[in-house]
Amino acid sequence: MLFNSIDFAVFLPIVFALYWLLAKYPLRAQNSLLVIASYVFYGWWDWRFLSLILFSTIVDYSIGLALNKTSEDKKRKRLLWTSIVVNIGLLMFFKYFGFFVDNFVTAFTFFGAEIQPNNLNIILPVGISFYTFQTLSYTIDVYKRKLEPTQDFIQFATFVSFFPQLVAGPIERAKHLLPQFEVKRHFDSNFAMSGVYLIIWGLFKKVVVADNCAFFVNQIFNGSSSYSSAELVLGAVLFGFQIYGDFSGYSDIAIGVARLFGFSLMVNFSFPYFSRNIAEFWRRWHISLSTWFRDYVYIPLGGSRGNKSKQIRNVLIVFLVSGFWHGANWTYIIWGAIHAMLFLPLLIFKRNRTYVDQYTITYKQLPKIVTTFLLVTLAWIFFRADTATHAINYIIDICRFESLSVVTFYKNGKSLLFSVIIVVSILVMLAFEFKSVQKHQKEVILSPYMAIFIAILITFMGVFKNPSDFIYFQF
Amino acid sequence: MKLFLKKISALFIVFVALAMLMSFGSLYFLRHSSFYKSSFLVNQVPQDNFDYVILGASDGLTTLNTKVIDSVLSIEGLNLSMDDTSLSSHYLMLQHFLAEGKQTKYCILVSSASGFDTYTNTLNNNDYRFLMYTNRAYVTEYYKQFPDTRAKILYYSKWMPQLGVSYYNAELFYPSLMSLLKPEKRNHFDDKGNFTYPVLNKTNQEITEFKAVSVEFSNPYVARIMTLCNENNIELICYFPPHESKKAIIKSSEYHFINHSSTLTNTAYFYDEIHVNHVGRQLSSLNFAETFRTYKTND
Repeated sequence: MLFNSIDFAVFLPIVFALYWLLAKYPLRAQNSLLVIASYVFYGWWDWRFLSLILFSTIVDYSIGLALNKTSEDKKRKRLLWTSIVVNIGLLMFFKYFGFFVDNFVTAFTFFGAEIQPNNLNIILPVGISFYTFQTLSYTIDVYKRKLEPTQDFIQFATFVSFFPQLVAGPIERAKHLLPQFEVKRHFDSNFAMSGVYLIIWGLFKKVVVADNCAFFVNQIFNGSSSYSSAELVLGAVLFGFQIYGDFSGYSDIAIGVARLFGFSLMVNFSFPYFSRNIAEFWRRWHISLSTWFRDYVYIPLGGSRGNKSKQIRNVLIVFLVSGFWHGANWTYIIWGAIHAMLFLPLLIFKRNRTYVDQYTITYKQLPKIVTTFLLVTLAWIFFRADTATHAINYIIDICRFESLSVVTFYKNGKSLLFSVIIVVSILVMLAFEFKSVQKHQKEVILSPYMAIFIAILITFMGVFKNPSDFIYFQF
Repeated sequence: MKLFLKKISALFIVFVALAMLMSFGSLYFLRHSSFYKSSFLVNQVPQDNFDYVILGASDGLTTLNTKVIDSVLSIEGLNLSMDDTSLSSHYLMLQHFLAEGKQTKYCILVSSASGFDTYTNTLNNNDYRFLMYTNRAYVTEYYKQFPDTRAKILYYSKWMPQLGVSYYNAELFYPSLMSLLKPEKRNHFDDKGNFTYPVLNKTNQEITEFKAVSVEFSNPYVARIMTLCNENNIELICYFPPHESKKAIIKSSEYHFINHSSTLTNTAYFYDEIHVNHVGRQLSSLNFAETFRTYKTND
């Protein structure tokens, strides 16, 4: 079920009403309803994949209990590895099987051997990368004794499948979310209203900013060889706004929906396009994933301890793994590598924590913000391109500087209209975000009047006829 | 919870009221403009009596130039074709024409061979262009008959216009802003409802072979249009426009028809496989005028 669909517009009020009607009953009733609602939400795409979530839930719940029962190190380690193998195994099979087979075939063909592979035509279950990471964090935290395992299967099932963040995050930590399922929820009107405003803001970013940008981005990336250098640059810039509007919009809606049910989810985006260097960008972009990698990959590898070469190795590993997490394609790995290359100089010259305590920005920092944005945009080309060759050709075509024509953006009435909508919507988004950054807010906080204004913009500037899927569903 | 419901209701009511107001305004400006053919017919066509009208999709819009036909035959015609539509929309357009108190002696129904036989029970892509007349029963009934979501959105727009205006915002809301400034502006058609495709640098090749497609007139809308014509003393003529690769074969028919599907035998006359270009339109219109003259004389 998509957040921007009529199905969800019907589903949400029904679940909301039933959920708060059950508030007078024992906690289990509300949690059970959330599990059922989450399974309906997920099963709307393909009910067959529900078995995967259920399987993952049962395995990690059982392992959590087993970890609690034993203090024997060897046994605990074995249990942890069982969870890692099952979760990563599922991810590898469904997401990366085809990739590995294709690359093996390419490698063998290079050496003269001919192989006829069986690709199995595996369909990628929506959101598998998100919920496997979430369940994995639970087992690891229980193993490290940072968290008491839950005894209540329904609570754990709700934690794994909680529908607002099930398919595209934020990837919640058990330490943060699971305890919220263990206590009685009381309806807080202001908290719920803040959720409504966040849903409106998220919808604006998705339906107006991202989906309108997609109009040009798809055209330009699908036929990049026939566009001018200036159009290619603008195509990449617009993709930057598309993916931000799409993904952060989804996160905002997820956080907002969760608040309607009395839950607090972690902030996933903190105005990343106002970052002054790449290190800051990664503190503001997809925070739930970058902190996941920090806690479960970077720090176990040694983190910033040890000499510089070890630190560089750790950073490289994290960025490459993060790239690979996004998809079974070399383009994502290169995207991760580019970010590593941009991050490493900051690490080496100890500039990676420069802006940790400086949340607000000054106008003098504008060149740094623009430079960071352009570097991020360069990396986005690999993220969006179909293949690494496509991305390289795209960049080569930009560098030719053969033409600075931007006729694509005004060649007919429709193009001109989309261009105007895109410019207006991006300016509105950046203006609200800039105000929030300067006020030291973690999210855009709308007043009732502003919420109505944004809702009107969604109504008359949104893309409803041919909406795009959320990009991160494919991950 | 009560406070939340109060707040959310207030927010919702103000939003709906504003959106509704803007949508009503949008449809009002479109209704008083000539941007789409439905309102062009109402606002920029003062005549009530025509010798013929042309109903069709993009092929009807771009094949027959009423200005050429009128100058050859000294008659008065109007092109009511709309691109990206099918026979069901043509039926609606004819209803709209008659509802305006206008009359015609002949109705030229333009379609490809397959169009006369194929019917899918779905809304056509440009049917939203009648949304400003959704208070009229024939428009509401038209939207109501289709099961798809888009049709439902247009149908319920009778009461909540923001549904249709929002869903088709690029096609309705923004043109309405333009109509506010320039109400006489037309959306790609001239003052007689015609449009033409440019001459592209296509190959100049003789077409020697056409694939034969037999026509049964099995699309139920042919019969419905025929009935509507009969009720209003209009003579219906089905017209098969030139096609680059297909030839219509009509064995026997209860319908009058003019089959020009294979009359243009050079690729240079075509814009694409199913549309003629500017030159092809001139030839097609002259061919049609001659056949129509004979037809009228015999009549």
